[in-house]
Amino acid sequence: MIEVKNLKKEFQKTIKDPGLSGAIKSLVHKKTETVKAVDGLTMHVDEGEILGFIGPNGAGKSTAIKMLTGILTPTSGTLEINGQIPYKNRKEYVKEIGVVFGQRTQLWWDLPLVETYSVLKEIYCIEEKKFRERMEFLNEVLDLQEFIKSPVRTLSLGQRMRADIAASMLHSPKVLFLDEPTIGLDVVVKDNIRKAISKINKNDKTTIILTTHDLNDIETLCERIVMIDKGKMVYDGSLYHMKETYGKMREVIIALNNPDEIKNIKPDKKFGLNADDYEIEKKANSVSMKFNSAKVEIPDMLNYILASVNVKDITVKDADIEEIIKKIYKSEVNPGEAV
Amino acid sequence: MKQFKSIKRTYGAFVNAGIQDFIAYKASFFGFFIGEIFMCFVMYFIWKAVYASTGRTDFMGFSMIDMMVYVFLTHISGFLIQTDATFSIASEIKDGSIIMRMIKPVNVDLSILFFEFGSKIMIITCVFVPVMVGLEIYRYITLGYVAFKLVRLILFMISISISYLLSFYLNLIFGYLAFYLLNIWGFGVLKEELIKFFSGAVIPIAFFPGVVRKVFSFLPFASLTYTPVMIYMEKYNGMKLIFNLSLQIVWLLVFIGLSRGLWKWAEKRLAVQGG
Amino acid sequence: MIRFLKLYRVFVAQFIKNLMEYRIDFLTGATSFLIGQVTNILFITIIFNQIPSLAGWKYYEIMFIYGYSLLPKGIDHLLTDNLWNVAYFIVRKGDFDKYLTRPINPLMHVIMEKFQFDALGELITGIILVIYSSIKLKLTPGFGEVAVILITIVFGTLIFTSVKIACCAIAFWIKRSGSILQIFYMSSDFARYPITIYNKGVRFIISYVIPFAFTSFYPAAYLLRGGNGILCAGKTMLISTVIFGISIIIWNRGISAYESAGS
Repeated sequence: MIEVKNLKKEFQKTIKDPGLSGAIKSLVHKKTETVKAVDGLTMHVDEGEILGFIGPNGAGKSTAIKMLTGILTPTSGTLEINGQIPYKNRKEYVKEIGVVFGQRTQLWWDLPLVETYSVLKEIYCIEEKKFRERMEFLNEVLDLQEFIKSPVRTLSLGQRMRADIAASMLHSPKVLFLDEPTIGLDVVVKDNIRKAISKINKNDKTTIILTTHDLNDIETLCERIVMIDKGKMVYDGSLYHMKETYGKMREVIIALNNPDEIKNIKPDKKFGLNADDYEIEKKANSVSMKFNSAKVEIPDMLNYILASVNVKDITVKDADIEEIIKKIYKSEVNPGEAV
Repeated sequence: MKQFKSIKRTYGAFVNAGIQDFIAYKASFFGFFIGEIFMCFVMYFIWKAVYASTGRTDFMGFSMIDMMVYVFLTHISGFLIQTDATFSIASEIKDGSIIMRMIKPVNVDLSILFFEFGSKIMIITCVFVPVMVGLEIYRYITLGYVAFKLVRLILFMISISISYLLSFYLNLIFGYLAFYLLNIWGFGVLKEELIKFFSGAVIPIAFFPGVVRKVFSFLPFASLTYTPVMIYMEKYNGMKLIFNLSLQIVWLLVFIGLSRGLWKWAEKRLAVQGG
Repeated sequence: MIRFLKLYRVFVAQFIKNLMEYRIDFLTGATSFLIGQVTNILFITIIFNQIPSLAGWKYYEIMFIYGYSLLPKGIDHLLTDNLWNVAYFIVRKGDFDKYLTRPINPLMHVIMEKFQFDALGELITGIILVIYSSIKLKLTPGFGEVAVILITIVFGTLIFTSVKIACCAIAFWIKRSGSILQIFYMSSDFARYPITIYNKGVRFIISYVIPFAFTSFYPAAYLLRGGNGILCAGKTMLISTVIFGISIIIWNRGISAYESAGS
């Protein structure tokens, strides 16, 4: 479906010294440097898959997505999607993809939403019957009915995002690129959008590439993730595998009857854990303790805590993906084997 | 003195920022500048043809050299008094960022004014000086003697400074009207065209028939570029010079008053609307 | 082509709906362009109160040339105004992405998206001037003249559009080319008057480098004074085709150099 090999993109960037003298200097002489935004990316995506494409700011996610969508021409490397080369047969290629950039809109700002769809219908040459069926489906999934007659500029951010996703799905594309589709939305709206994405994926067998900073998006939608940093891939594999491999830290949240008893919890001494494997933090109404479950079995730890202090409530939390990713970003975990 | 120092410190930063801004957007400025210079040359060729057609050296009291000084100086003056006040205020009102100016311990109009001083310094050095030198060389070559008078240049600078302030407050008032106007850009173009017409940028006011000329020269638009240019060209002398300078100042005071009043009203409106 | 026209119809329909929302804007824009033209006409009139002819051209002949120059300029302004936005904002902000993810030609897409009714200020002035001065000059265009008028207006418009395309394509490399476009666009002011008033250098430039003289003076002069109509129309067609070709090459190169903008 999607085949990317050793993809690279370089930019020339002008460097400007700060301040007035820097501004004047740049008038006379411009310094430039080459920035490798994407540096040798290789990956493969199957049909119908939802791929989470993640990485810190400036990692090269957007640049990679823009090459995949045919907006940017790669400096070197090959990429093939649906059997087509995006930047070469662009006009043909884009008929089969849908793109949503969370920070931008493709909707007609001053006109009622429905007008944007009728223009897109013409642009993508969608037949009347097909168009009506499609609108019905998208309406059902994304609840467009309540605002379809309002001018786009009056829509809330959440409504606008739903409208934008519908706009990119109107022509039933085989691949959908979602660049931060939940950015700036509240929890309830985010949840609705995730459900809609998942429905679209099941209904149409659409391959979806999703970039996001919200790890809940990843947890609910993606089975597989690709993580890049500084233009290079640092992880490619299933979410489950990632948790298994790097997610051995468990968090135990303990509510105490007498908060002062916190000083009685000393598992580091008892089990001989060092600073990497153990961490304790006092929160407003509880104590949060993290430990490496590879070193100490969970039941052993729980028994120890129950024996040491007077517990009101206790919860054990699963590996937190956010923690894992933070660690991988900081290269604390070496994911060598997974790449 | 102490107060002056603190003003210098506060607003000096705005001047500095203005210079940097000018450098960052130098390309777009020079685009407009070269475009205007084209316009000047079109006028040059037209006037040359006009003087050739009449066979006379005088056209309604203007010699060819007078005409060239008029054309170039008017366009350059246009740059010196040009201001983005309308747009900066209007867009800030529209997107609500005007409150950022209100919460800083500076005057709204002064902070914009000092920011623009920066770009004016750049325009004077990069555009005004070279064009004036060129113009005076042209005058010297065609006339055979030095026509340049330092007193006139100084009087011009005084007059054009008043013009700039006048233009600034006029534009500020337009900006405050953004509360009512939808298409700021369209109104901006309309305003520019009207000012061009009434200020004699295309047709010298002296060319209009009697009554029209009288009315036009009393309007505030004449105070914008026409007065300083006439002063430099030694068309205004003695009492007439003093009268026209005073007229400029009167208009300036009127517009400052108006803009302050409008700002008070705008502030109240912001408070009601909540920005 | 049929698909293109169909699309264009849809876009124009959308745009007219948009216009209904902002009627005052439209009136303001058109009025301001109208006032600009009226000021210039007044200027010419005042001059002609003092002189019988300018470089051998009479008042109504000058009016005819001036009016004729507004026709291709106005049509181009009406149809392709969105190119200004490409030069100033669309590329710099990375908003050009949208056009590249659509299955139609990005250039056509950009152009179709905006219909600039402000241009009616120029177009109406131009039409009135041309008709009024034709009557005053007792011009009676025959079949050949009408053909020359149609051809030179269409290809003259293409000259304007080509210059705009080439200048705004530069933005793909330098991010913002509005000022370059401004310079080239304003040089068309030279073509509003008989080019015989200019010196050789200026004449050469506006005939063969930035060939705006072919949008107004040459065809107008043929209609006023006669001459070889086929040669006049042919030259305009040839020159506009060449410059259009060059601008398309620059545009296409520009698209592959497009760098978008950080997310």
